[in-house]
Amino acid sequence: MTDNTCTQCGYEHVVINRKSNGQRLCSSCFKDSIEKKVLKTIRKNKLVTKGDKVLVGLSGGKDSVALVNILNILKEKGIIELEAITIDEGISGYREEGVRIAKDVAKRLNVKHHIVSFDEKYDFTLDKIMEAQKGKDDHQHACTFCGVFRRQLFNQVARDVNASKIATGHNLDDETQSIVMNYLEGNIHNMVRIGYKTEARDEHFTPKIKPLREIPEKEIGLYVLESGFEVHFDGCPYAHESFRMEIGDFIRELNLKHPTIMYSTLNNFEKIKPAIKKEYDKKHVVPNGTCEVCGEPASQSICKSCKFLEKIHNELLNDGNQNG
Amino acid sequence: MSITLINKKDVKEIEYEENLTVEDILKKEDIPIETVVVKINDQTVTEDEKVNDNDKMEIIKVIYGG
Ligand SMILES: [Zn+2]
Ligand SMILES: [Zn+2]
Repeated sequence: MTDNTCTQCGYEHVVINRKSNGQRLCSSCFKDSIEKKVLKTIRKNKLVTKGDKVLVGLSGGKDSVALVNILNILKEKGIIELEAITIDEGISGYREEGVRIAKDVAKRLNVKHHIVSFDEKYDFTLDKIMEAQKGKDDHQHACTFCGVFRRQLFNQVARDVNASKIATGHNLDDETQSIVMNYLEGNIHNMVRIGYKTEARDEHFTPKIKPLREIPEKEIGLYVLESGFEVHFDGCPYAHESFRMEIGDFIRELNLKHPTIMYSTLNNFEKIKPAIKKEYDKKHVVPNGTCEVCGEPASQSICKSCKFLEKIHNELLNDGNQNG
Repeated sequence: MSITLINKKDVKEIEYEENLTVEDILKKEDIPIETVVVKINDQTVTEDEKVNDNDKMEIIKVIYGG
């Protein structure tokens, strides 16, 4: 006979059995516990300060929906200003649904919402680049383009709206995977950049924060469902990070028998990080200039994203269009 | 017992032996328990919830991979 009673309030229907600490929680105590934990992460690591303007990435996926809903608590209390951005990469049959959900969520929470598309900013969609690439030798994966341009647009909009922080929905699974992957691959320079926030390297660079970093992915899924949001649970059709997926499956499998494994991986990493940083961070090259085309921080006169754009327009699409 | 199993757009009626839990059914269907949230008759349940005859069991995949 299993006990279906909430260990917090005694209500007789639980939605989660947390093997990591023995808690069994009803829907309401569960949502409370997630919100409290995220707000504690924010406070403890000083992820926001009073008066911050936070721009949150809202894809319509579960992580971003949970994040905007929790950051909205701080907005309602008058501690921060909050705006959301959705980037439409132009992935037909996939992104439309995310954009629609993002719009609904922003409206429901009364959060100012920016929708920026590759098509209007760069005059191409991700689908179009991938189509044009077919049969060419120099084949790049969709995630490479996507990552570069999303980052550029995110930073641009953050500057345009004078955001003081950019918030992203990375969860405990994502972070644990990154730590283990970089460790196994010996990628120590990437490792020192994993953290609660990126440090501002110059005034053009809006610091990024990860408030959901201590919440397991499955609990985020449960949180948005229990909060009554409609969520886009589909995976991206271009998703391919096969090594990350393997590591993810491996850690989740371990987690069944060792339910605290993700927490300990993250906590231990945070403990050893200062030592790795001391040894390796100083060798990392910091961009010290500004891109002539887009104003992003760059170590040369034109930044990586703009060079990439030039190549796409001149070599891939042959449309002679430089920068939209 | 007979269960209606809903997995996205896939809806099917399945016959199982009596006295199974959500976890037992997920194992039978080869669905990794760590990647889904399960609702029985529209109410979210834990993996040790007992499943009864004529229940509607909905599987919501919240994690990719697995
Ligand atoms: Zn409770
Ligand atoms: Zn640039």
